[in-house]
Amino acid sequence: MKAIMSVGALIGVVGLLLLVGMILDIVPSNTVRLVEGYMPVQMLLELALFVAGFAGLSYMMTAMGMTFPRFWQGILFWAFILLYLKFRVYPPIPFSVRAMYGTVSLVAVFMWVSANEEDWKKFKQPIMNILDAQTGMNKLLRYAYLIVLPILIGGFSYNAMVPKSEEPIELRTVHPAPPASTKVHGKTYTLQTSQNPYRVNPEGKYDQEYTNANIVEQGMGRLMKPNANPWDKDAQGYLKYVREGGEIFFQNCHFCHGDNLNGRGLHAFAFNPIPANFTDPGTIAQLQETFIFWRVSKGGIGLPNEGFPWASVMPPWEQHLTVDEIWKVILFEYWHTGYYPRTWD
Amino acid sequence: MKNSFSLKAGALLTTAFGIILVSGSTGSLTFAQDALPEGFKKSELAPEPSADMIEAGKRVYFTKCVWCHGVDGAGDGPGADRLWPRPRNFNQGTFKIRHTASGELPLFDAKKPIPGQNDLFETVTHGLPGSAMPSWEGILTEEQRLQVLSFVTTQLVKDRKFTDKQSEAQTVLQLEGLKPIAASEDSLKRGSELIVEKKCVECHGAEGRGDGNAFNLKDDWGFSIQPADWHKCWNFRGSRQDPYNVKNIFRTFSTGVNGTPMPSFADNSTVEERWHIANFVNSLCEREADGKPLSIDPLTDKPKINFVVSSGVVEGEIPADPEHELWKNRARRYVAMGGQITHKPRNFVNRIDDIWVKSLYNDKHIVFMFQWDDRTKSVAEGKLPWAPTQVNVDVKEQDPKTGEEGSIASHQNNYTVYNDAIAMETAVKWKELPAPIKPRYLFGSNEQYPVDIVKWEADGSLRAFKGTGWDKDFEERDTYEENIKILHSEWKNGRWTVIVQRPLGNKKDQDYDEDTFFEMGQYIPTVFFAWDGHNGDAGRKMAVSAFYYTFLEPPTPREAYIYPVAIAFGVVLLEGWVLTRRSNKRKGKTL
Repeated sequence: MKAIMSVGALIGVVGLLLLVGMILDIVPSNTVRLVEGYMPVQMLLELALFVAGFAGLSYMMTAMGMTFPRFWQGILFWAFILLYLKFRVYPPIPFSVRAMYGTVSLVAVFMWVSANEEDWKKFKQPIMNILDAQTGMNKLLRYAYLIVLPILIGGFSYNAMVPKSEEPIELRTVHPAPPASTKVHGKTYTLQTSQNPYRVNPEGKYDQEYTNANIVEQGMGRLMKPNANPWDKDAQGYLKYVREGGEIFFQNCHFCHGDNLNGRGLHAFAFNPIPANFTDPGTIAQLQETFIFWRVSKGGIGLPNEGFPWASVMPPWEQHLTVDEIWKVILFEYWHTGYYPRTWD
Repeated sequence: MKNSFSLKAGALLTTAFGIILVSGSTGSLTFAQDALPEGFKKSELAPEPSADMIEAGKRVYFTKCVWCHGVDGAGDGPGADRLWPRPRNFNQGTFKIRHTASGELPLFDAKKPIPGQNDLFETVTHGLPGSAMPSWEGILTEEQRLQVLSFVTTQLVKDRKFTDKQSEAQTVLQLEGLKPIAASEDSLKRGSELIVEKKCVECHGAEGRGDGNAFNLKDDWGFSIQPADWHKCWNFRGSRQDPYNVKNIFRTFSTGVNGTPMPSFADNSTVEERWHIANFVNSLCEREADGKPLSIDPLTDKPKINFVVSSGVVEGEIPADPEHELWKNRARRYVAMGGQITHKPRNFVNRIDDIWVKSLYNDKHIVFMFQWDDRTKSVAEGKLPWAPTQVNVDVKEQDPKTGEEGSIASHQNNYTVYNDAIAMETAVKWKELPAPIKPRYLFGSNEQYPVDIVKWEADGSLRAFKGTGWDKDFEERDTYEENIKILHSEWKNGRWTVIVQRPLGNKKDQDYDEDTFFEMGQYIPTVFFAWDGHNGDAGRKMAVSAFYYTFLEPPTPREAYIYPVAIAFGVVLLEGWVLTRRSNKRKGKTL
């Protein structure tokens, strides 16, 4: 038991040191990387590790005769969560969301300290001691609180009222509802029935299963299947179209959407919001191929009114690409990210 | 290509012979010691990677790299022709960022992914900022990065062999063993003298903005190339995602950049001198007003962006002199610029990738100061190929096949020169736009909600345009031009400083339907455009920013002083109440 707890304590101390390092900017915040796509799970796991570490730490301290008052445990744990959310997670979480998490964890901490009568008593004991002020030390503390609290609260409210120039918060619809049909280069495409003419099997028939078998593999790196190289000289049909789509992508799209289709292209840093990240399971993996066709063809300017505030510099690619080229680029995007387009059924 | 390489090898051989002859004639026995530049040490070549690694690397290469570097690794993939700098041609084994002496192959060992001992691994891991090469850390595993390098170094480097002891030697900079010299005032002063002595300024310019007489520099393959701008250390190829680290500069200065005109200075400078130079170059990189490095966004490896350009209030006249106290003390904003690649003529290789903006206002005017680095002062020589107002110009964009005439790469530094220019676009009637008040990107929503564009050009003109929509030509707006004024414009040592004054706007003197009215405490959508005349930028071929907000700082309202005091007093009362209750309760209990 003691061994397990001391391991826990060690984890707690190391984790705390890392976090303090990050807060003070000594340890770069990407020392332990948050992996794209796994970030929420990773955060939960890290927090669980911390909790285990703190449990161990508290156990060890009690064993060594240095019991940590429950009151401070609660307060410090809550402070810890707030600091973790602010300094550990990158890109930063907006304040409004952090405030939400903060409230939820405050409630959780309250539930923990008031789980039973005895715990609750332990928790509120230090507060009562200060209020009653029966020792000299407590008396001193009481006066200190009497003076410091109003100053702090006054200071906070002044801070809140002084005019500041923070960027206005902006929400937007990520995937607005598509129209029933779209007209590109003079031809009307019904989104529900149109198909990517290049998603074909060796017989030349539309075949999702065949093409899905040839996309890159999921997992770190997302590498192509060993025997499905679009750059093979003999590549025909689907794989050849993938290569042609890739050529168009790397002449037009990668400037924003990035070499790895993760929205971090050469010019992406200049734009706000940053370009769509196709490796994120929330983008093309969730959408039908015809939806992508509509968005690529019509661009940001073609967004419907619900798509407000249209914060997109995506050009209507029909002005630069042919219909065939657009379909091939879409084919490439699904191939390279290893996702399947969603189907209508 | 081949020719230039063999010529170079020949020159190397001749020099080597020369050294042997000279050292032979003086009868020195410690030749090997003497020939080594200070701070370098001979080292063994790394063993050949295993066949498995090479085979696995092929799969990585053809998934990720081939698109720019090409099937044969000749730097001619489909993406290559619209990139500048171009992707590396691996065939000659010429690599820029190394710990090895000039001309030598970089360090690569498929079994040792150790920082400082594996140049190619670090390049793939951290990417090459300022070029299209991204950081592959977090995308490819360490193993995959070593695999793909095993493939590249054995299969795609064709003219040289990493393991051939006959032809290759490795002289490695012992960077870990060399202690940096603190960047004291003396060191910086010595550095500033040395960059003149060593002729750094000839290419990099008097203030290090890459604006020296090096305009037509070419790399080993004949493609145009430009000297680094020392003020943007986050764009240094060798910055290794740690741009303010002086060691990176020391390394590049010691080893040179193979394949480019940047030589190694190891032979003609001592280690101490190199630290002074590195310290000085590092000190030039843009910093906060208090001298701290700018905070770098780890996702983009560029300075973090704040999208609010706040304007400070001034009593009376706004100074026209950029050295004036008011301007000097004013906070500046970093505005990131990308190429305009949505409308023809598209600008895939914008040379201006950021500008700095400051702003001041008084009761009548708002003034903007734009500062940006541009290696060349460009004033139009030729006639514009298209009207500056025109959009969707029907230009033939080059057939993107590598090596063909008319490609972007062969065009670089070879354009007819047009005007350098800067412009700001603000929304008209922004108050009536639904929240968040932004017009449809990029050039105004429609006739009803246009944008107001004020453009300064290097020929001394200041003009106003109206933008009414995505695919619409701009309209000239003569009525506004008499209200706007150039206070200052100067190009000096690779940096433009332009100060433009415009009215705040009021219904008596300006047209509410056409001009932007600036109001205190409001967020006014603002976009910036920039043109580099030597890059063939004209009309819509330009660099663009995202939407920023101009914010006129309001004075602190009186309420901000009253309410907090009232609140604090309330808290005191509350405290009194709680304490009284508690003590009453206790008394009740004890009684």
